[in-house]
Formats: sequence, C-alpha cells, structure tokens
Amino acid sequence: MSTITTSRRGLLGAFVSAAGVATFNVVLPGVARAVMADPAGAGDIEVSSWIVIEPDGMVRLRIPQAEMGQGVETALSQLIVEEMDLDWGKFRTEFVDPQVNRNRNNVYVHTATLNSWGVDLLFEPMRQAGAQVRAMLMQAAGARLGLPPEQLRVAANRITDASGERSIGFGEIAADAAKLPIPDAKTITLKPRAAWRHIGKPHHRLDTLAKSTGKAVYGIDVTLPDMVYAAVRQSPVFGGRLRSFDEAVIAGRPGVLKVVAIRGGPSGYTTPPSLWDIIDFQMDDAVAVVADSWWTAQKALDDLPIVWDEGEHAAVSSESIAQELDALVSKPGKSVRSEGDTDRALEGAVKTIQSDYHFPFVQHAPMEPMSCVALVNDDGVEAWGGTQYADEALRIAAYAAGVALKDAKFHSTYIGGAFGRRLSQDYVSQAVQIAKRMRGRPVKLIWSREETTRRSYYPPVAQTRFTGGIDGEKRVVAWKAQAAFGSAPFQPYGLSRIPFAIPNVEIEYSGIQTPPPFGWMRGVAHTQGTWMSLGFASELAELAGVSSYDFHLSLLDETSIPADRPDRDDAIARIRRQRRLLQEVVKRAGGPTRSGRGRGRGIGITDMSYIPGYHASCAAMAVDVTLDGKGGIKVEKVFAVVDVGTAVNPQNVEAQVQGGINYGISNALFGKLTLKDGRIEQGNFDEYQLMKLAEAPDIDVHIMPSDGRPSGIGEEGTPAVVSALVDAVHAAGGPRIRRLPIMDQELLLRKS
Amino acid sequence: MSISMKVNGSSVSVDGDPEMPLLWALREKLGLTGTKFGCGIAQCGACMVHMNGEAVPSCQVTVSAAQDADITTIEGLGANGLHPVQKAWVQLDVPQCGYCQSGMIMAAAALLERVKQPTIEDIDTSITNICRCGTYVRIRKAILEAAKA
Repeated sequence: MSTITTSRRGLLGAFVSAAGVATFNVVLPGVARAVMADPAGAGDIEVSSWIVIEPDGMVRLRIPQAEMGQGVETALSQLIVEEMDLDWGKFRTEFVDPQVNRNRNNVYVHTATLNSWGVDLLFEPMRQAGAQVRAMLMQAAGARLGLPPEQLRVAANRITDASGERSIGFGEIAADAAKLPIPDAKTITLKPRAAWRHIGKPHHRLDTLAKSTGKAVYGIDVTLPDMVYAAVRQSPVFGGRLRSFDEAVIAGRPGVLKVVAIRGGPSGYTTPPSLWDIIDFQMDDAVAVVADSWWTAQKALDDLPIVWDEGEHAAVSSESIAQELDALVSKPGKSVRSEGDTDRALEGAVKTIQSDYHFPFVQHAPMEPMSCVALVNDDGVEAWGGTQYADEALRIAAYAAGVALKDAKFHSTYIGGAFGRRLSQDYVSQAVQIAKRMRGRPVKLIWSREETTRRSYYPPVAQTRFTGGIDGEKRVVAWKAQAAFGSAPFQPYGLSRIPFAIPNVEIEYSGIQTPPPFGWMRGVAHTQGTWMSLGFASELAELAGVSSYDFHLSLLDETSIPADRPDRDDAIARIRRQRRLLQEVVKRAGGPTRSGRGRGRGIGITDMSYIPGYHASCAAMAVDVTLDGKGGIKVEKVFAVVDVGTAVNPQNVEAQVQGGINYGISNALFGKLTLKDGRIEQGNFDEYQLMKLAEAPDIDVHIMPSDGRPSGIGEEGTPAVVSALVDAVHAAGGPRIRRLPIMDQELLLRKS
Repeated sequence: MSISMKVNGSSVSVDGDPEMPLLWALREKLGLTGTKFGCGIAQCGACMVHMNGEAVPSCQVTVSAAQDADITTIEGLGANGLHPVQKAWVQLDVPQCGYCQSGMIMAAAALLERVKQPTIEDIDTSITNICRCGTYVRIRKAILEAAKA
C-alpha cells in the first residue's frame, strides 16, 4: 500500500489536458481511480458542430486536426476567435469526435492531418464557423434585449449594446442561439483583412503551459480505472506470420496476466484527395503480453519464445534492394515529363555528365513510442490515443473489435511527435485486439523504442540517375533523370517538378516493392527528389565553371521557358517566386559564398509543389558549414526565407521552419536504417542517431510579407535544407554528396 | 516489498518488484505521467528527473536504488509557481509536440543549478536530450533567458 504523508495535492493534483479532451484524476494505487469525466458537462450547449458554450460563458472550440507539435490547435483557434470576436484566453479547445464527424457527413471538412493542409484547407470553413455562431448569438441576444443585432457587439464572452449598459452573457443566450437555423455560409461576410485582430498576429501556443509543466496528456499518459498494460512484438521480418509461442516459459510470473496473439490485417487508409493513390496500410501478426505494469509485460515478452514463419522476405537486405534499384535506373521507366528531345540534345552537347544519387531507409522516430488505450465491453469499443486520422482510428477500432461502427468511440489526445507515422492505425488495432481478450478491462499498449524503429511505415529508398549536358555558352541543354523508388505510391514530383527552365527534359520513374511498407513522412518525396535534383544542378554548374548560385539563377529564367510548354503559366509563376526567395535569402546571408578554409555556404530552394497550379508554400535556404578536415562537420547557421501566403501565427511559422530544418538536417547527417535477413538492423537511439543540441545550428527565419491565402509550413523546411546542406559541404571543400546520410561516408577529408 | 522515497516533497512507498525502473513506478504507480518514456536506455532524456538534486534518466534508476532518495519530477519542479526555466519555456513558446520537454526542462534546471550563467557551449555539451521536433534554437534561448532570472 502506498501512502502519502504530506502535500497530496502538490504531488498529484488533477490532470487536465489543455485541449479539454480528457479530464481525469490520477490517484495512488489502492485508492479507487477516478473515471475519465465526460467532457460535455451538464448545461453545455452545442451552438453548432464547431462551438460549444458552457453555462458560465466559456467557449469550447472543436479542432478537426491532430495536434502533434505543428501548432494547428492554436492557429485554427485564431481563425474562429477572429470571427467570433472572442477574447484570447476566454475559450478552450477539444479535438473533434470522429463519431460526430461520421454522423454529420464530414461536417469538419478536413480531418486527416497530413500534407501541411490544416490551416490551408480549414482557413475558410473555420472562419465561417466562427462568423455563423457569432451571427446566431447576435440574433438571439437581439431578440432578448429588444435591439437590432447590428447595434450589438461582442466583448468578454458577452453581447452588449453600443453603450455597454445592456448586455447578456454567452452562457445565458447560448440555448436560444442553438435553436436558430445556422446561417448559410454564402450569406456570411467574413472580416476584411484590415480588421483582423488575431490572424497574422504572433499568438502564444495554447498548449505551451501544459507542455512545460508535464500536464499535457498524450496517448501514453491516458489512465483508466483497473487498467492493465501490454507490450507487443511483431514479426521481425516484414510479411512474416505468427506460428507459435511458448507461453509456459513466462507462465506464473508475478504480474503477468495473459499472452495474446494479434492478427495482421488492415490498419487504415489515407485518402488525400485526388493527388495520389489511396494508401491501404496493412500490419503484420504480433504477440502481446499483458501484465500489471508495462515493464513487467515487456520483460516477459523479451523472454517469450516466439516462432515466426518468416515468409518470402527473409533473404532481403539493403544490398539486394540497392541492386534492384541500380538495375532499374539503367532501363527506361515510365515517362512522367518529356519536353524537347533530350537524347538528341545530349548527343549535341559540348559537355555531359552522369551521376547517381541515393536515398536510404529512414524513420520518423517520434519521441512518443506508439501507444493506445482501449476498452472492449458490452457497449462496444472505446479507444484513446494520438492519431493523425481519428476517423480511420475509429473505423479500425470497430473493425478490430468486431463491432458496428456506431458502437465505437475514439478520443484523440496530444501526440508526442508523428511526422506521418500515425497515419497508419496499426497500434490502435493491436490495442483493441488485446482489449478484446481482456474484455471489460482497459488496456494500455505501449511499443518499445526498438519495436517503434523496426515496425514502422517508411519513406521509400530511392536512386536516381541524372544525365545532363551543357552547350558552348554554358547553358544547360539537356536534363534527364531516371528514378527508381522502393514501395511507394507514384511519387515523381520531387524530380519532375524542378522549376528550372531547360529546353530538353526527360523524367522517368520506376518503382519496386520493398518489404518495409510505405509510409508518409514530413517532406514526403520532395525529401528524396529535391536535394538530388539541386545537387545535380550544382554539378552542372561546376562543369560550366559557374558558381552554384549564379547557375541556379540562370536556370530560374522565365524567358527561357519554351513557348509551347503546356504548363507555361505555372512554370513562370514558380520561377518568379523561387528566384525572388533565393535572392532574398542570399542577401540576408550576406552573399552566395563565404571564404575561409573548411568553410562553405550552400543554397537550396523548394516549393513542395506536386502538380501545376498546386497551392504550396515556398522556401529558400542558405546553410553555413565548417569541415574540420578530420571528418567532422559543423552545421553552424541556417538562413531561411519562406513564403506561406498569410502567416496566421508568425511565431509558429518560425518554429515550424526551424523544426523542419532540424528534421531535415538530422536525417541528412545521420538517418539510415539497414535491412539484413529481412529485418531492420537498428533498434534504439544508440544505433540510430538523431540530432541533439550539439549538432543543431542557429536558424534565422524570415517570413515574406504576403496577402495570399495561407499555405502549409510544417514540411517546407525539410527538403530545402538538405539541398543547401549538401551544397555547403561541397563548397567547404568536402565531396559531392550523392548518397545520404552524409556521416556515412568517410569522404569529408578531401582537401579544399 | 515496499520501498520508501520522497517524491516532490511527499513521502511515498512503492510496492512491487524493486528492480522496476523508477520511470515506470512514477508513471504507473504514482500517476506522475509528466515524466516520459522515450527509449529506455538513457539515450533520449525524456525520462529525466532530479534525484537528490542531480538530473538522472529515471529509466536507469531502479526503485531499490531510489530508496530514501529525494526525487523531483516535472510536476514538482514548479511546486511554488513556475520554475524560472518553465517561465522562460512559456515565454518563448519552446514546446512543439512537447513530449521531450519535461526531460529537457529538468535537464536545463539542473544545469542552471551547477552553472549559473552558462554559455551556449555549456548548454550544447551538457544537455544531450533529444527533441525530434527540433526546438533547439528556442531551447538555447530559453535557458539563457532563465539564467537571467
């Protein structure tokens, strides 16, 4: 029995998520644990699907996106707050209920958290939602006060007349307002830009205090009465099947409750509208041990003999995959872009070069390992956790429990990093499958770090063979890229969307199936394609005897775009924008190069564009590195210039650019998973290095002023900085990096 | 077996396997979930707590090794209002996903106990916690800010 002698409240207190999604008390063992409170308290009024008003006038805003660090909870709140005329601080937030979204025909518009789309796609809907509820409150208050709504205004969660003498609180009028029809969005006039008080202003994040005091609740923190804990192991070989396990070895251990076989199968879809193939995630068989603590469960699992049918991939290695890719880039692939006659132009070129670029398997490595809490009982299934797509988590939970979709509930929590990983709901399915065998008792599933590394959904390995030629006047006359990617949807855009004006361009793409399954990751396939393309452009610059910067500018020349190019307008717009940003970042960095032994500056650009006309942000970078001549590299400083349209929360845009840059640098310097005997060889952070403070550069972010519609910023920093980093290594006297990660090659010793 | 220790100023006793890492006892037995599990092998620092005034990864300290120790977790750091490090974190909006920040704040607070006015080099070499969101620029700024308090 545990005892507390003093300061009980100081030790324990109540845990309240800033998102208001889960309010529950945590108490010591031996004392009955409090049940998670129903977030909808008595007397709360749902005025529309987006906004709830509590009796005391407190407003709750519903957030359709997952908060995984990108600051979307705050940015989306700014949109509603702006139109509702709320005071900052006089509201709370909660994540939307996917069951409500389902029952109301996708009322929350865009709920999958991916592709940096949150603020972009919800910019109109959330402002409209705020304006609609404001109009309803005004109308209801006007009727109550006997005044025309146009003479009323909102102040401090009350509606008052012009003099401020007569007023009525939100809480008093909410029930009347909720009875009114929601005004048609077409009849709503949104505030003009000049009247904005919140959009475009640097607001503090809503979750900062909770995340600085240990009070923010992540999936791994959810605590329920009588909860038990589960650890899981999946087939170490991708595609392997569970044959048997010897439960007797761990039977009778104190605290061990059950061993559960988990069946592989579907783990969710992502359905980005129209841009890509639908991804149908699958998971493999697994074994879970359930115990009275997670540590006990994991220890028993480590000792549990498991026999796997390793299946057809047991002989696959990084080398065998590399050979497949290498064979593929030698052959014609699917033509994804073809302008002019590239082969002929290469024949006629004065100088030509050919280079192969390689990208390894890497992982998201979110700091919070995969986790989910699930309860299966006579009511159906209920699950809690962090997911990037709650609608799919709900569906997968129902499927895994074998209950009707209407009998499933899913509660979103804060997410301790995702970067695309939590678009697959494999860990949700597993938790529910275990809970089904522990019927009536909540189960908290937590993956070990090793499991999180070895059983993820990975961005594809890739190899690209570039061939290019220049004429006698140092102009690029031909550009050919033959790409081969591992398991992935069709992802040529990092290569095919290079913005350069070149008369003869041929881009070919081929794919192979690799056993590690595909997953989306921050930067998507711009991460593979952009640095390769810009790296090869720098090689052509060297061939032409022109500086990398001057050469990039010469390729960003709208007058060189052929008149008959089908996407000519789009190409011109992109070139203008990228040229402007590149010039700006070089100006801010103090020039395109820097002198000094071992010191180099590199440049990079991206607009994360997928198709002509795609609404994307744009980023340009300059990176300063120093090579110590002994194989060491120091990334000292990054200058970034971004155009995100309207920056809804500028301080958060800065944070996202900094974070995206560090994510890109960490992957480019260290990121590499290898496959041997069908297994990922690395497990924990001693085998898979991530950036720490000592490797982190200082980062200067400049946001270009813009009145444009907002576009995403979670990912833009990542591909652009890799391009600039490899360029900087070469500028510092290091080698041409054609194979990531940078630290994998003992090539940094080359004398300048 | 019951092991006594002081956690955030309160005397507690923890039952069960004395070899259980303190991390799991804090999280599962005492309900102090602010201390996070990230790697389990003292690489990431997400589980960092103060034990007798020193920052330690709680995944590497067994419950028995914590006997009679004075433990402070993130929940207890600002027991009398926010700690200067927490104030700086809030002021500069350091966290993104926030998962590593409990450990980061505990490491920063311990550093400032040892070195009142750290340089950037002091910060970079003495704090080896991992932040996968890459909040490092603001972490440095916030520690320097907290050092002024």
